[in-house]
Amino acid sequence: MKPLYFPRYIIITLICGIIGIAIVVQMIRINYSDTAQDLLAKSSDYQGVEELVYPARGNIYDRSGNILATNQVAYELGIDLKFVNDPESIAFAVASLFEDLEYDEVYELANIETDEDENRYFVLASYVSEEKIIELEQLEETYQERRSEAHSLIPSLEGLVWTSMQQRTYPEDSLAANVLGFYNYFSRETAQGVYGVEEAYNSLLTGKPEKIFMANDPYLVEALPDINPGASLILTIDREIQAMVEETLAEAIEWSGAEGGTIIVSDPETGEILAMAGTPVFDPNEYWEYEETFPSPTPYNKAIGTTYEPGSVFKVITMAAALDSGVADLDTTYTDATGVYWVDGSWPIYNWDSGAWGEQDMTGCMQHSLNVCLAYIACDLLEEDLFYEYIQAFGFGRSTGIDLAGEANFPLRLPEDNEWVSLDLATNSFGQGIAVTPIQMVAAVSAIANEGKIMMPHIVRSVVDQDQQYNITPQLINSPISAETAETLTQMLTVTLQEESSNALVDGYSLAGKTGTAEIPTEYGYTSTTTNTSFVGWGPSDDPKFVVYVWLEEPAISTWGSEVAAPVFQDVVEQLVVLMKIPPDEIRLELSSGPGS
Amino acid sequence: MKNRLFQAYKQAPWRVQLQWIGLFMVCVVLISAITSVYLSINSQAATAGREIQSLEYQISTMNDEISELTADLAEAKSTEKYRAKAESLGFKLLNPANAVYLEVPGYDPDADLVLAPPRVNLISEFPIVQSSYKSSLWDWFVENIWQVSSRSTESQGEVLP
Repeated sequence: MKPLYFPRYIIITLICGIIGIAIVVQMIRINYSDTAQDLLAKSSDYQGVEELVYPARGNIYDRSGNILATNQVAYELGIDLKFVNDPESIAFAVASLFEDLEYDEVYELANIETDEDENRYFVLASYVSEEKIIELEQLEETYQERRSEAHSLIPSLEGLVWTSMQQRTYPEDSLAANVLGFYNYFSRETAQGVYGVEEAYNSLLTGKPEKIFMANDPYLVEALPDINPGASLILTIDREIQAMVEETLAEAIEWSGAEGGTIIVSDPETGEILAMAGTPVFDPNEYWEYEETFPSPTPYNKAIGTTYEPGSVFKVITMAAALDSGVADLDTTYTDATGVYWVDGSWPIYNWDSGAWGEQDMTGCMQHSLNVCLAYIACDLLEEDLFYEYIQAFGFGRSTGIDLAGEANFPLRLPEDNEWVSLDLATNSFGQGIAVTPIQMVAAVSAIANEGKIMMPHIVRSVVDQDQQYNITPQLINSPISAETAETLTQMLTVTLQEESSNALVDGYSLAGKTGTAEIPTEYGYTSTTTNTSFVGWGPSDDPKFVVYVWLEEPAISTWGSEVAAPVFQDVVEQLVVLMKIPPDEIRLELSSGPGS
Repeated sequence: MKNRLFQAYKQAPWRVQLQWIGLFMVCVVLISAITSVYLSINSQAATAGREIQSLEYQISTMNDEISELTADLAEAKSTEKYRAKAESLGFKLLNPANAVYLEVPGYDPDADLVLAPPRVNLISEFPIVQSSYKSSLWDWFVENIWQVSSRSTESQGEVLP
């Protein structure tokens, strides 16, 4: 017998079943509807975003650990329209703090109507300073007080957002700017180092950007992976020497009326560049003014980027070749009877004063800087093969390989080239008709100051990457001359400086060096009204610790290197010996011969 | 016996209902327990997630502060600032003629600046992969048998106090 209420049970069961089935059908329908797909897409947005995270760019230090380039915090200022409820206050605040942002412009952006589910963000300014952000925060606090007093929703800066970002900064401003280069950071995606160390070591300094999922959903949050910052660099540059050299160069240019110039100080034993100054002066913190400061074709760093005819400083190289090859020694003489040397009987070579200096030994040829004597050595003693073999061994005609971006090189004109004429051999011997960069000259002369060995000129001393320091080992490029030749030539050039009572001499220190006065080639031939003056010297003569090269472009007060560049060299060395803690020869030799030495 | 039990249930049907209610309550308690455990774990996970986010934010803020302080320090120690400060304190540039030189034993003016430890050899003197991971099952078995037997031999020879 069936229970009394059986039909009712059946009806209730059927109704519940139908409702259940309807719910399941509805659930399936919703899951596969377009709205559901939209919702799913939005929910994945809310779960988090994948961001490309850029590591902090590495610092650059001088050899003592002083920071030359680092990063500071700047902010990106923007409007998130979803949260804006008072466009007037936002426009007023922004326009009053930022000169280049107009009230109307900001108001228009802040007042754009958006759908509820639309997410719109506008960047108002990049690389905003922390001071400005603090001012905005203070303003927002004031507005908050006013809102709570008036029980109102306005005034409010809600919707005005700022996020931190890294900005490259050079705390020493223009100091060593020609060595450092700059970092054009405005566009983060295309930012890169330009010139100098910033460009040469860009990939090391930048590090490796990584894509990271930044979860908003707390269930998906994980500790973010450590992103290694870019490697830091320790330079060979000494900040104090660099500052002194830059100041001396600026004074020298003002005093001499020169168009520009460069001074390089290097350690011949290692090839380390201790200082490298040049014109024009540039502040990499305002790198966007680069084109104004360096109108084309001005090189960013004259010390490595400009080629010029070196003049008489090049006689050091010719003499080194002559002494090392054995075609001449200290007692070899040359009789300058007429003051003219004829090349192939067609082209005359004159001395700087057009005078005849009679019989001269090799020391005399260098002391009086006789063009005819050096032309004789190159053409009659060395001859073309040997001369150019030595020139190339000294590194002329190819880049030095210094670790800076923008090194220039002027190809050497060799006898096998069609353009070469025999006059070139004579003029090259005293530094005309050949183009070199200041750094090539320093590298070549370093061989004479370093027992005949040329070390690779370099700027970076160590690389610090992932908490480990890698010290760079100095590299030998070539040994163009023997240690004996180097010593003989150093002694010769020490004597010549002392005997001519050169303006380059420094009390208490024995120095070797040579002046240079070069005529400037133009499309109409050489001009004698303006010259480039230079001086290269090293010391102390018995144990050289530095090579200093001074080059001044078209000085106005005199056309002679001995009158313009030599005093600048003296000025640099007087301060350099103090900064490098090199005592006068007498004290140094006394200390080195002491009981503890 | 079976008939008597059936009779008892038939005379008191509330016993069946009680059983059903009991079963239902057990299910409810079980589901509640699972739900509360699930909720508790979820809330803890969410809290931990928020804490991680907060810590990451703190790390980011502190990195920004470090950058800012480094930049400030570098600027405060710049050549120009040092020079201005030295001049305000009455210092003057040294005249080389007045310099006094002293020999300081052990002082190396050109010593390398050390900002981080030098690169170390990453090849460990000890094997990274233990031999047990490289040996065959038979090798491993023999080695362990050998170790066990040698240990037992050693313990037999021990002189106890």
